[in-house]
Amino acid sequence: MSTTAPKAPATPSAPSLTPLFVRLKLSLLRNGLLQSGGRKAAYITSAVLALLFAALQLLGLLALRGDAHAATVAVLVTGVLALAWAVMPLFFPSGDETLDATRLVMLPLRPRSLIVALLAASLVGIGPLFTLCLVLGSALAVAHSAASAAVAVLAVPLTILVCVALARTVATANTRLLTSRKGRDLAVLSGLVIAIGFQFVNFGVQKLGDSGGLSALDPAGDVVRWLPPAAAIGAVDAASEGAYGRAALQLLLTAVALVALLYAWQRSLVRLMTSPDGSTLRPADTARKQADRPGLSGLLPEGRTGTVMLRTLRYAWRDPKTKAAWITSLAIGLIVPVVNALQGNGTVYFASFGAFMLGAQMYNQFGQDTSAFWMVVQTISTPRDAYLELRARAYAIALVTAPYTVLVAVVTASLVGNWAALPQALGLSLGLLGAMLATGAVASANFAYSIPQDSRKNVAPGQGGIASLAIVGGMLTSGLLSAPLIALTIWLHVSDRHGALWLVLPVGAVYGLLVAYAGLRAAAPRTARRLPEILTAVSRG
Amino acid sequence: MPDQTFDGGTDPAEPEATGPTTAGGERELPPAVRVSDLWKRFGDQIAVAGIDLELPAGKFIGLVGPNGAGKTTTLSMVTGLLRPDRGTVEVGGHDVWRDPVAVKSRIGVLPEGLRLFERLTGRELLGYTGRLRGLPGAEVDKRAAQLLDVLDLAGSQHKLVVDYSTGMRKKIGLAAALLHNPEVLFLDEPFEGVDPVSAATIRRVLERYTASGATVVFSSHVMELVESLCDWVAVMAAGRIRAQGTLAEVRGSASSLQNAFLELVGAHGRDTGDTLDWLGGGAAR
Repeated sequence: MSTTAPKAPATPSAPSLTPLFVRLKLSLLRNGLLQSGGRKAAYITSAVLALLFAALQLLGLLALRGDAHAATVAVLVTGVLALAWAVMPLFFPSGDETLDATRLVMLPLRPRSLIVALLAASLVGIGPLFTLCLVLGSALAVAHSAASAAVAVLAVPLTILVCVALARTVATANTRLLTSRKGRDLAVLSGLVIAIGFQFVNFGVQKLGDSGGLSALDPAGDVVRWLPPAAAIGAVDAASEGAYGRAALQLLLTAVALVALLYAWQRSLVRLMTSPDGSTLRPADTARKQADRPGLSGLLPEGRTGTVMLRTLRYAWRDPKTKAAWITSLAIGLIVPVVNALQGNGTVYFASFGAFMLGAQMYNQFGQDTSAFWMVVQTISTPRDAYLELRARAYAIALVTAPYTVLVAVVTASLVGNWAALPQALGLSLGLLGAMLATGAVASANFAYSIPQDSRKNVAPGQGGIASLAIVGGMLTSGLLSAPLIALTIWLHVSDRHGALWLVLPVGAVYGLLVAYAGLRAAAPRTARRLPEILTAVSRG
Repeated sequence: MPDQTFDGGTDPAEPEATGPTTAGGERELPPAVRVSDLWKRFGDQIAVAGIDLELPAGKFIGLVGPNGAGKTTTLSMVTGLLRPDRGTVEVGGHDVWRDPVAVKSRIGVLPEGLRLFERLTGRELLGYTGRLRGLPGAEVDKRAAQLLDVLDLAGSQHKLVVDYSTGMRKKIGLAAALLHNPEVLFLDEPFEGVDPVSAATIRRVLERYTASGATVVFSSHVMELVESLCDWVAVMAAGRIRAQGTLAEVRGSASSLQNAFLELVGAHGRDTGDTLDWLGGGAAR
């Protein structure tokens, strides 16, 4: 800054702002290359892979030209792309630093010129380039005439602008959320949403292969081609078919959507930059609502058992790490048997997978407490206390898992169409659940490790060995502990005593209870003896 | 129920009571805490190097020392959160490591650097802690409501602790430590990062608590605070106890506890001397 200001307070004019923001974005991109070795390599690799993938998609879409389903695919690709742009800022709020408009709040900027500048900056980057490849490919796949080419010239930039504006609008509207504790909680859960979403996509693709082709997608395509920005690609297709009225309507629809988005964005930008930070405002007294009603928790037993169960269940709901683990287990435990059954290679015995996944929640119980475990340490004086503590945690898991196991078994049996095997499958599941609770309790007492709270990692650095030892060892032991039940089932089958197979259900339930009891009994004195050591192990990170 | 002493008496310790040696000797109470030959080593570093301490009952006791002196390590070992390499700790005549049943029901703890169950609301946290301590539910709820009120947390009782400020966390931690009416309260840096209003509230509650005959042991490196609050002080530096006794005894002839402390830890003579003689605005040298 020079001290001799020639003009009084310079108000930046719109034309100078846009190149400034574009240069800012370019600097941010370039700075990605200035990181340390490993991160630089990761940065370059991901950029190259993204572009390679985009190029392949472009080629694929071009190859589709002339295919009967080209329009459906092109429209759906654009739709999925727009969806990705909409959710990206929610899951990766730190992905684009220019998304957080509150960083600019101290600068004298007019909303309108700011929006133009930010929109221009958004068009710079790997994401927009990736989008350009796909949208261009989609347009080329459906453009068959001069008229449709002319529509495409409008449609492609319009689509990209809608995508970018969508991301900006969503990010601006949610800035307060994303920079708050709730937003950080959401970010922890995001990996999970992607993982489960991937399972569904995987399943969908397989299903598509089974049902003999892309025609299955046509109904979806017929709807999506009217939703902006995919409507723009729909317009190109309509122009190819000579339906110029439809083309104009679809193009108009996309343009209207762009204007609406820009308007909404501007409104939330103004609100964001002129209103005080939400963290300094006390929310209106929401306390009254939930005051002093026991609710369902009143049904839990008094004393340590009910108290610990309630805390465990509350954490499964409120703590993002614990919640992510629970939801993953619940989802995978159902998806695996169901998908296998739908693909025709499933058996009802896969139902025990649900019990297995949820039983695994018993592992590293104290690590899930983080260093707050000291509060538990202060109240455990005897092996009896430790037993009650572990048993209550096992109860909380069983409270969810037992009905869930029945559900998974019933669903799987109905899909496989083998109701006769339901009791055996249930018996085996309950036996396995008992074994998992038992080994989980013993592993919690002997192999505790920290779960870092502020990263996506689930094991603190340096404790990977003990964590895998606990999990792999525990699972093998659970398998061994379930062996008698499996042997019983096989023996009943082999010796042709099919009439007695229902016995596996009561035997499995009782066996599971006994094994779980024995495991808790074994783990309790170890826990009571090792309290300070466990606290040290779970207090890292 | 194992840990259910909420009448706050000191009777169980009486039979084996030995008279206090350094506490001024105005009453024949057994020491609240007796530490002998306590050691802890982390790798190459000796955090606590053979501590002997006898803390009188019914006093407001300050454990002072610079950062890294071993205060937190000592308090963790005294409260059963960290296992010592060697040495014994007795609270009210009961060995912390051999008789946890008697000790854990008699002490309240507010550690530094450890989390709380932060995904519970303030009120739920107190309900959880009290019930885990074996108190009847109705009694827990009554005490929790009073503590929340006195500590000025009633308005935030239904907010998750994770959204609390530092001062509010210290206060809810203090409430959780007081809930079962312990005989001895151990607080690690209870005023660190706390705003003046919360600090005054904490102070008021602690003064009322000691007035009833209970013992408070707290660590701090803020001498003025210790001087104004405590009637008994132990000075710690480099893992050892440099002095212990009443405030007057430790202060000795020094003008303030701060100066006495600097002398004890050997930092007093270390003034800047001539090394920074060029420093001083305006004097161009």
